[in-house]
Amino acid sequence: MAQLTKRGVIAAVVCSDTFMKLGSAQAKVFGVADLPLLKIQHPLGGLKMDKVRERAEVALPQLIQAIKAVKEKQA
Amino acid sequence: MSALTPLLKAPGALIECDDDPEAVFELLCAKGWSDGLPVIPPTPERVERMLAWCDRDLDKAVMRIPPRFGAATPIRVAANAVMAGCKPEVFPLVLLALEALAEEQYNLYGTQATTHPCTPLLIFNGPVAKEVGLHSGQNVMGNYFRANAAIGRAVRLALVNIGAAIPGTGDMATAGTPAKFTFCVAENEARSPWDPLHVELGFSREASTVTVVCAEGPHNINDHESLTAEGILTMVAGTMAITGSNNAYYAGQPVLAFGPEHAATVAGGGMRKADVKQWLFEHATLPLARFSKETIERRFRRKLAEQYANAPLDAPVRMVSKPEDLIVIVTGGAGKHSQYVPTFGNTRAATRALKRADGTLAKSIHEFKRS
Repeated sequence: MAQLTKRGVIAAVVCSDTFMKLGSAQAKVFGVADLPLLKIQHPLGGLKMDKVRERAEVALPQLIQAIKAVKEKQA
Repeated sequence: MSALTPLLKAPGALIECDDDPEAVFELLCAKGWSDGLPVIPPTPERVERMLAWCDRDLDKAVMRIPPRFGAATPIRVAANAVMAGCKPEVFPLVLLALEALAEEQYNLYGTQATTHPCTPLLIFNGPVAKEVGLHSGQNVMGNYFRANAAIGRAVRLALVNIGAAIPGTGDMATAGTPAKFTFCVAENEARSPWDPLHVELGFSREASTVTVVCAEGPHNINDHESLTAEGILTMVAGTMAITGSNNAYYAGQPVLAFGPEHAATVAGGGMRKADVKQWLFEHATLPLARFSKETIERRFRRKLAEQYANAPLDAPVRMVSKPEDLIVIVTGGAGKHSQYVPTFGNTRAATRALKRADGTLAKSIHEFKRS
C-alpha cells in the first residue's frame, strides 16, 4: 500500500482496532504517514460471513471518505 | 581519543543516569529498552570493550531490523550485547546471527510482528562455538550457560530495542513464548553419529556457522522404551503431528533436535539423516479428519485448495512439505529425550558462516580482536 500511495494510487489499509498502533507506526516507517487506516473491530480472522459483512459496512464509509479527502487535496 | 568518542557525540547516543544498577534498570525499562530482566549498564567503556572484538565499521549497519527498520550498527548492537551480559569475545557471533536474520527467506518482518509465538532459534556449528564456550550438552535449551543465554538474549534485545518489536505495537504475539528471552544452542557434534548441520548444508567442517530458525519453544519427545530406529521415530512422528502447528499449513522447516542417546539408537539401526527425514515425511502425518470441520472447510478446502479441495478425510496432512525441509541436529546430554521445534511456517532457515570483514572464513574468534 505504501508503494501504491507513493505512485499516486489512492490506497488504504483495513486494520482491526487492536492493530491500529502497528498500522500507524508502519505507515510512518514506510514514509506514508497519512495512509488511511480503515478501522474495524477485532478480530477479522475466524468470522462467519455476516460478521465479515458488518465489518465491511464499517470500513466502506471510511474508504469513501479517504478517497474524497485525497480528491479534495488534489483539486 | 577512542574510535567511539566521535560516535558518542551523535544526538541521543549518550544518556546520563545515576551510577547505580537499579537506577539504570529503571531508566531502561521506562524507555522500553528491556526484556523485563535486569541488565548490565551499557556504559561507553563497556561498549568499547565489546567493540574491541569487531572488525566491521562501527557505525555502518550490518542489517536493518523491522518493524522499525532500525539500523543495526555494531555500536548499537554492542550496547545490547553489554546489556545481555555477553563476554566481548562472543560479539562477532551476535552480529553473525543478526546478519543471518536479515536474509530475505527468514521473513524477519513477518516473524517480528506476527501473533504466532515465534522467536529466532540460533544453532551454532563449527570450531568457534566450542572456542567461545557455547554449550551443547546437558540442559542445552535450558538455563545456566552464559554464552548461550547471553548471545540469544543480545539478539532478542536488539530485535526489541533497535527493531521496535514491542509487545502490542510492533510484536503482536497473542501469548508469545518464554523462548523469547533467549534460544541459542550449539550442535553436539562430538556425540552426533551424522554430519553436523553445517557440513550437511555444504560448508566445510572448519567453518563456523549459525543457522537461524523462526521457532516456537521446544516440545519434548520422551521415549525411554524404544530400542530400534523405527521405535524412536514412531514416537517422534507422534509428537510432530499436531493440529495446532503452523507447519501443517505452510512449507516451513521445523527442527528435530535429537538427544545423543536417541540419535545413537536411530543411527545404530542403519538410518542416515536423509533416511530419518524421509521416514518422518511419510509418517509425521495426521488424517484430514483430525482437524476441525471449520478448519477443513475454510483452510484446507479453500486456502490450500490445490492439495485438499477434493481430498478424502483420511488424506494425510504432512508436517513438512518435502523430506529435506526437516532440519535434523543432535544436541543435549544424557537421557532418553529429544526435542521437536515447530516454526512460524512462512519462513525459511538461513545459515551464514563466520567471516572476517575481508570475506575470508574465520577459524578463530581471536581474528576479530582489534590490535
